[in-house]
Amino acid sequence: MRIFRRRKRKKLCLVGLDGVPIGLLRRLAERGVMPRLAEILQGGALRQMRAALPPVSSVSWSSFMTGANPAEHGIFGFTEVTPDSYQLRFPTFSDLAVPTFWDRLGESGRRCAIINQPATYPARAVPGVMISGFVALSLPKSVWPREHLAALERMGYRIDVDSRKGREDPDALLGELEATLATRLKAAAYFWEQENWDYFQVVVTGTDRLHHFLWRAVDQEDDPRHERAMSYYQAVDGLIAEMWDRLHEGASGDREGEGFVLLSDHGFTALEREVRLNAWLRENGYLEYTSEDPKSVADIGPGARAFALDPGRIYVNAKGRFSRGCVDPGEAAVLRDEIAGKLRDLSFEGAPMIAHVFTREEVYEGPKFDLAPDLVAISHNGFDLKGTTRGEDVFATTHFQGMHTWEDAFVWTMLPVPEDPEIGDLAAVMLNRLSE
Amino acid sequence: MAKGFTLWFTGLSGSGKSTLAERLRDTLLERGMKVEVLDGDIVRQNLSKGLGFSKEDRDTNIRRIGFVCHLLTRNDVVVIGAAISPYKAIRDENRKLIGRFVEVYCKCDIETLKGRDPKGLYEKALRGEIKNFTGVSDPYEAPENPEVIVDTASEDADASVNKILLTLEQLGYIPADDGRGYSEEEEEGIKERLRDLGYI
Repeated sequence: MRIFRRRKRKKLCLVGLDGVPIGLLRRLAERGVMPRLAEILQGGALRQMRAALPPVSSVSWSSFMTGANPAEHGIFGFTEVTPDSYQLRFPTFSDLAVPTFWDRLGESGRRCAIINQPATYPARAVPGVMISGFVALSLPKSVWPREHLAALERMGYRIDVDSRKGREDPDALLGELEATLATRLKAAAYFWEQENWDYFQVVVTGTDRLHHFLWRAVDQEDDPRHERAMSYYQAVDGLIAEMWDRLHEGASGDREGEGFVLLSDHGFTALEREVRLNAWLRENGYLEYTSEDPKSVADIGPGARAFALDPGRIYVNAKGRFSRGCVDPGEAAVLRDEIAGKLRDLSFEGAPMIAHVFTREEVYEGPKFDLAPDLVAISHNGFDLKGTTRGEDVFATTHFQGMHTWEDAFVWTMLPVPEDPEIGDLAAVMLNRLSE
Repeated sequence: MAKGFTLWFTGLSGSGKSTLAERLRDTLLERGMKVEVLDGDIVRQNLSKGLGFSKEDRDTNIRRIGFVCHLLTRNDVVVIGAAISPYKAIRDENRKLIGRFVEVYCKCDIETLKGRDPKGLYEKALRGEIKNFTGVSDPYEAPENPEVIVDTASEDADASVNKILLTLEQLGYIPADDGRGYSEEEEEGIKERLRDLGYI
């Protein structure tokens, strides 16, 4: 007599929608643009979720992958300043200081298939297969293991769209978004069949690109490209549906939807004004340059007391931390509070601009704490905080139509998640499910 | 100091194991590593002199090579083993013994091998003049989950070497070529991407 029945391993499939705010997701479901999504949302729980700080993909996805705070995983943005030269450097997947949850799954023999995960370039060994996402450049360096490269090349897999099209030719961008999404789906179908996976993940990053360049087409029904933008979302609905249907083929013993998760890494909203924090710091006497036309923070002058990196990270140019630091450690806290106070008072045509200014002690904790920005500012909707050193005007309008938001990402799942979740909470949820 | 590991080539006679082993040795030496090659043909002239090609003798030969790889690996040498090593169980035994073990399967179909046949071995084996010839009159158990598969029938040696080097980088056994995350060219590419999205 068999006393113990061998339990079937739990599977989990996650679809990530980069930069999709919960409000837009609901609207697309309610208005019939995404009918399969609407069906899914009938069950489970759709929750608003906070992104990591600052709310950019590299930081937020790194928190998602690891379940860790940025001061633990070490990724604070797409850029960092080299303390000696002030040159920008660009963190790689190797900079991630803690294991991903799929590394931990591998320790118990679980396998993963990860497609288009931002902030994982160049790809490295994972227990399973992976394709890196943004800022991936070359497909060979984005694929683990390399045996799958030829198949991906044959299917015409595209890492990303050419974002220059967003500025130069928005219609061509839409074409690229559609073509890229189609290859994600092909890659997903391929790995679904090829891999004996326990955890499957595909991230759609085209949503983020669409919002950066064509937010009005998404948001406003009278925009000439609205229909095409909705057609893109219909294709995204198709991808979600295909993943859902594949997961539910055959009997798993799970409740319908139990092994499925949908989420975004940050929200999005309309961009009214770009706010150049370095121009503001300069205007207020905190920053000076050695050049009339500063190309980056490498051109800051000897009296520069603070500088900013995208998107709202303020660094005090402290002695001991940076080679040309001029602020005594004892004065750094006072200076930081002074800048935070002025930021909170910032307004544009009477409208307050800044919603939160966090000190690093308030939001970061971990061994990489010393690399954290001194302040992280989060703006009110419409004001996009930039770290560029170009331009003397604090306010600017450009071709960008959308901006990231912090508090209105989403997660949909039937698994138990905290009531007021943030993206870093989910790794534990995944591990619990897959360890059952 | 970099830690040692064993790069183990397996595949039929003439599939490119020795050629790739030499190429990898030269490249890794250029990168400043301590490298040793244990080639099956050479090992049979000394360490395994006198052994034949019965299953028992073949297993003994592969175990001996594996044992030396183990000793060198634990002393932080990069060891490249290149031997047909036809039986999965013995290769797996070596993997377990050595730990830091990267298996490279030199895959090549028999028709291509017969076409190459520089020593005329396949021709002789097919005529029955050589007994126990792997792939003709003796079995070869292909690896199920090797770290790298190089298809030497269709890809050139440069592509195979690059594939192996990249895998070693991805596994963390060797540092990236330039010692940093990105080359200058890649860094420019990344700047452009970030600029296009307004991040710098």
